[in-house]
Formats: sequence, structure tokens, C-alpha cells
Amino acid sequence: MNILGISAHYHDSAAALLVDGLPLASVQEERLSRRKNDAAFPMAAIEWCLDHAGLELDALDAVVFYERPMLKFDRVLSCLLRSFPHSRHAFARAMKNLLGEKLWMRGIIASELGVPGSKIFFTEHHQAHAAAAFLTAPTERAAILTADGVGEWATLTIGHGAREKGGGTTINLGREIRFPHSLGMLYAAFTAYLGFAVNEGEYKVMGLAAYGQPSMVDKVWRTVRRTPDGAFALDLDYFEFQSTAARSYSQRFVDLFGPPRSPYDPIDFETEDGRRFADIAASVQHVLEDLLVDIARSLHEETGLSDLCLGGGVALNGVANTRILQASGFERVFVPPAPGDAGCALGAALYADRICFGNSDRAFPDHPFWGPSIAPDDLVRLADEDGLATDYVDDGELIEMTADDLAAGQIVGWMDGALELGPRALGHRSILAAPHSAAIRDRLNRDIKYREEFRPFAPVVPAEEAGRFFELPRGEDRLARFMSGVFPVREEWREQLAGVTHVDGTARVQALSKEMAPRLYALLEAYGRRTGVPVLLNTSFNLAGEPIVNNVVEGYSTFRRSGIDILIAGQNRLARSRKRREHIRQEQSA
Amino acid sequence: MLQPLYRWIWRHPGPRARKLLNFAAVEADGGRDLVRAAELTRDPVLRRLYLAHASDESRHAGLFRGRGIELLHDHPSKTGGSVYEAEWLAPGERGLDDLRVEKEGDGALLAFLHLSEKAAARAFAQYVDALPDDPATREVFEKVLRDEEFHMNYTRAQLSRIEPEKQRILIWRARLGRLWKGYLRVATALAGLVSGLVLKLIYFLILPPFALLAKRAAARETEGWHAIAAERGAATGKQDQS
Repeated sequence: MNILGISAHYHDSAAALLVDGLPLASVQEERLSRRKNDAAFPMAAIEWCLDHAGLELDALDAVVFYERPMLKFDRVLSCLLRSFPHSRHAFARAMKNLLGEKLWMRGIIASELGVPGSKIFFTEHHQAHAAAAFLTAPTERAAILTADGVGEWATLTIGHGAREKGGGTTINLGREIRFPHSLGMLYAAFTAYLGFAVNEGEYKVMGLAAYGQPSMVDKVWRTVRRTPDGAFALDLDYFEFQSTAARSYSQRFVDLFGPPRSPYDPIDFETEDGRRFADIAASVQHVLEDLLVDIARSLHEETGLSDLCLGGGVALNGVANTRILQASGFERVFVPPAPGDAGCALGAALYADRICFGNSDRAFPDHPFWGPSIAPDDLVRLADEDGLATDYVDDGELIEMTADDLAAGQIVGWMDGALELGPRALGHRSILAAPHSAAIRDRLNRDIKYREEFRPFAPVVPAEEAGRFFELPRGEDRLARFMSGVFPVREEWREQLAGVTHVDGTARVQALSKEMAPRLYALLEAYGRRTGVPVLLNTSFNLAGEPIVNNVVEGYSTFRRSGIDILIAGQNRLARSRKRREHIRQEQSA
Repeated sequence: MLQPLYRWIWRHPGPRARKLLNFAAVEADGGRDLVRAAELTRDPVLRRLYLAHASDESRHAGLFRGRGIELLHDHPSKTGGSVYEAEWLAPGERGLDDLRVEKEGDGALLAFLHLSEKAAARAFAQYVDALPDDPATREVFEKVLRDEEFHMNYTRAQLSRIEPEKQRILIWRARLGRLWKGYLRVATALAGLVSGLVLKLIYFLILPPFALLAKRAAARETEGWHAIAAERGAATGKQDQS
């Protein structure tokens, strides 16, 4: 059976193709259109998936959309009516938006793809999240928790799943919390208040939280409270997202926390305001963690299962994920590489395949590399056209050379194999650097990533060596596999790992297994032989405001526009001349 | 002829700051589109020029942003959201607009860029004259203008190089394209105005009784957990199944 999954029209559109129960291709539209968080109908992603599989559109047995537009419309209209007459401005905007296009998904899919309506199916948004979390995890029985801003009505669901190799699959989502009571919206409101873009800046709040003290937890608890049945409810007097698109928090919220931060002001921890913003971030992070841990703990007690699969955008919060692992009673916590909406394309296809069509379970390949592969020879062509010399180097030698370069303080753009699905660079589209000094972190922030100084960089380490450098709780391997958890750096290594150690002594570790990215694994080993520390700084291969690079041409253009010293594409290596490096540094400092 | 209008548009520091920040966003977007054009072209000369152009756009974005933020800081009380803003009265460079770089050949793109830079240079020159009392903002526009001149020239020269036969046709086509996009912008704005008005009428005339019902239903709704019906899990056929 050939099943195409689609997510679109909110943020981060994507497509995924399942052939006989196994994924063949999946890619986010932004990686092809080069528009960050592209929410458009993912035509380029669909075309690439089909081309990659060598399938024509009429070979598709089903096209599955990741949510039910009518239910979403029902929720939007109900909320607008409930907040009458305050919703007068939002109403026109929402109706134009939904009635203009998003409501008619069956028609849109049929006309864009030319498939008959009978082949078009829909899952609920959180069903897609649940399937993306559970059916991609190497576990047969697990509790499931999904949480995000909102899908149709649900904002958080809990349940459990069971699968049998070659047999049937069940996903039972038993309970849900409904809009407007939403952990994602709570965090998003604070994200907006702290001057960051919603749906994009949430991880900045998490990074900022480490600089503050949770001294305003009581105040945050005034905006959200526990309900007697163990769920939670927002105090809607503090929020406006349910009635207007203009602002997500209310004047009462501002009265409680003080003036919001202007997006144009830098955060200066020397000032009272800077410290206040950091404390607010720490406080909302603390409350989010407490709520998630409590919900996960009761889910553990209820199901008695040892594994938990987490899905939804909230599962990108690595600090919360680690606390869930430590405090909820679950022995293992699984987070897929794309727990947000992009992963829903794959989730929707999997849900339809296993649950609706009743196809047998298939073991899911345990890696995130479902996108387009690089064509390394493109680097030779491009460099040649620009009068630059590339080296084609034997793989073993290339690894050793690159380890030498990294040990000498060079910054390396690393492109290898197929593109990752999801927001993390997990070893195929990475910028790599030595992790030892804060100076290299600052150089990366200033000359390459052009981003705020308070944001940390992540380390990558061979899975077998991770425990030597990081304090890992039992069952950490799954969280660390796709960089989904944050763990303390061991005290004795913090100085040597200053480039990847956050201000609170933690790091968002990727523990790399050899079979997942063998070349990067070999590079870590080679680097370890030189320095005694097989750890590298690993950040996504992109510049600020741009999606992660997909092909070599994009990697090359990023190399040309930034302070990256060496570009590796497969076995081709391009080094920036010393003269050019100096010129770029002078330009950047000017 | 438009000088009095421009002076009026740029008279308050608050809206001036927001316009500059808007220009910054447009320049940054234009820069990203140029990077994309550089990635797509097979012509190495154009690739280098597009990348240099993109770097200029990125620098312009920084200049506009920096000055906008300075103005916001200097005039915090006058930057509230109550001032009427009509961006179309003060067009900046529209960057590459909604041009799909992927679908354009180098010739069409160069023609479009040439006209776009020319229009931006003309507008920025007028803004310089409209800001006699704000030398810092004038300086920003003057710096940007110097680059626009280079952009105008290189796009024209490259167009002559790669499409010597069709350059005039391409320029005319780009001119018509800009006109068409201008028309679409106005038409979309008008349609938005009319549909907004109709929806406002519906909202106030038809919705009140439904709003009352919705509020009563909301009051009865319980907080906390809601059970999910088992049959919801199996249905994928409909858009509205629940």
C-alpha cells in the first residue's frame, strides 16, 4: 500500500510517503522552498517523495491529511462566538483565512494532486502526533502523551498503544484536555511576552530560563491552576489568544508580570529588566515541567507501563522531557526526531496504515534521515566555477584531516547522506566545532549563526562515551538519541566542555550510535584520539532566519556567506583560504 | 510633486521607526530571495553578483533596523499602536515581492531586479529630501542609495550580457509584471476591505443569538479531562468526524 501523509497550513508543512508500512521518504517543505517554517501546501515535498520512490500520483492508495479541518473550524467559530463582541476583529480575519482556503482540504488535495476524493482521508491532529511518537519508537507497549498549542479541540491527550511484530496495532487515546486550556498556548503566551516569535522562539525561552531563578512561580500559578481531576485550566482573564489574533496575553497579565519585552531590545542580565525576564522564563519553565511530570506520573500509575512516548510541539522542550524521565516513574521516554507538526505527516500516514487500514506492524527504522541525499560532486563544480580548489579525499584520510582541523579550532560545515526530518541537525547537516572554549561558542553566535548570546550549543558524543562526560539518568539513551533531553555536564568536564555547557551546567546532548551516522561517529573517535575528549559542538547547518540546508548548493552558499572555515560534502573538502578568512573576519567586525 | 506628501508621512518619529523596521524586514527577505537566486543560477558570474547583492541587502536591513530601534528608544511614548499607518504611501524597495525565484529565468529576474532597484532608489532619494531634520535617518538612506545605484547598473549590464537580443522585451515584461502585481495588491486590499465589511455586518447582525447560545454552552462545559469516544480512533474518512 502506498500512503502519502501531509501536514500543512499552520506551520512547518511536510509530506511523508509510506510504502507497504515502511517510510520511504519524508521532508519538510521549508527545506525545499527555502522559506523557514513554510506552511504552504507542501507540493515540492510531495513531488520529491514521489520522485524518490519512483511513483506516479495514481499509484497512491491513500492520501492522509493530519487534521480534520471541519472540527478545527468548529473550534475557531465556537471560540469567536464565546468571546463576542471582543472577537469582532479576529472574526473577519479567521473567517477569511478558513473559508478562503483551509476548510476545503479535500478539494485542495484533490485538485492539487489529481487524486479522487475517495482516496483522501483525515486523522485527528493528536492522533497523528500519537502515531508519530509511538509507531516510530522501538517499543511494543507504551503510554502515550501528546501536547501542543492546539489541534482541532484537543491540546493534550493521554493514552496507550500496543503493537505486535507482524500483527495488529492499537492506539487508544482515552482522555484529552481541550482548547483554550493548553500548555502550548501557555508557553507561547510567555514567549510572546518575552519578545520572541511564537512557534519559533519557544526554545529561546527554554535557553533563557537557565539564566533566571523561578522566583515568580506563584505568579505563573495564578494564570494556570490544577483541576480536581488532575488536569489543568488556564485562567482566561490573563490571556487573549482565544479571542484575538493581535496579542496572546491580556492587560491583566501585564499588570501581574510588568511591562513586556520589546523584541528589539537585547536581553542584558546586568539590568533589572533582563533579570526579570530571565526569572519569568525560569518560572514558566518550572510550572510547565511540574504540570507535565504530574500528568505523566498519573499516566504511569494508570497504565503500569514502563515506556512513555511523547509527541506534539511541547515534546521539543528537552528540559521538561528529562524531568519527566527522572520523576514520572517511566523507565524510558521516547521522543521522535520530529515531534512537532512536520512529523505529523509521517504520523498521519502511519496512523492510517496501521489503525484504519489494519495493516500489520513493521519495525520502524530507528533514524531520522528520510530527506534528499547530497550530490557531493556539486561542490567540485561550484568551487571550480568560482576558482576554488576542492580535495577529493579517501574517507579514512578525510576523517583524520577533519579531526585535525577541528582540533586546530576550525569550524566545519558537514554534509553527509540524507537530510534529517525535524528541527535538529543529527549528524548529516551540521556545523561542527571543538567544544572546549566559550570563545568558539561566541564566534559561532557572532560570525556564523548571528544569534543571541544566551543560547547554548549542543554536544554530540559517541553513545558509549556519553556517561563519561554527562550525568545521565537511567533510560536516558532514547532521549539523547535524537537530542531530546538536557543533562548535566559532569563537574570535572565543564571547563573542558565550556563551548557546549549552558550557564546552569547542562547540555542538550546527542548520544550518537555508530549505525545511525557512521562517518560522524568515526570523526568523533578521531577527534577523541587527538584531544582525549570525543565530543564535538554540533549545531544545525543554517544561518539565522533560514531553514537547515538541504543540498550541496545551499551548503556552499552558506559557506560563502559565513565564517565557516571548511566545507565537507561526502568525500569532497573545500577549505577557505587564510586570506579570505581574514577578509571575512575584518568585514564582520567592521 | 510628492514631496509634501512624503514630508507628512515621515513627520513623526514613531511611525518613522516602524517604517524603517518594516524596510529592514523587506530588505532581509529580499536578501534571502537573492541567496536563493544565487543557489539556482548556473551562471557563476551571476552567482557571485547575487551573493554580493544579498550581502548588501542584509547590511541594509541592519542599517534600517538599527536606526528604527534608535528612534523607538528616543521616542518611546510616541510609538504606540494608535497611529494610522499606510505602508503603501511610503513604498520602500519591495524586494523581490512575491516573485517565485525558482520559476524565473536569470533574464526575467535581472529585469525585475533592475526595475525594483530603480524604483527603490527613486523612493529613497525622495525620503532623503523629506527628512531635513533627521540627519541620522538621512544618512541611512544615503548609504543604501549608493548601493542601489550599483545594483541598478549591474542588473542592467548582466541582462545585456546574458540576453542581448531579448533585453528590451524582458524589461517591458517585468514592467508589466510590476504593474500587474500593483493591481493585484490594490484589488486584494479592496477585496479585503469589502469582505471585512460584509463579515463585520454578519458578525453584528446575525451572530448575536448564536453567540448567546455559545456562551451558555461554554458555561456548562467542564474543565479538566474529557473522555475520548473509542469510535473516534477508527474513522478517517471525513473532515468533520468526531
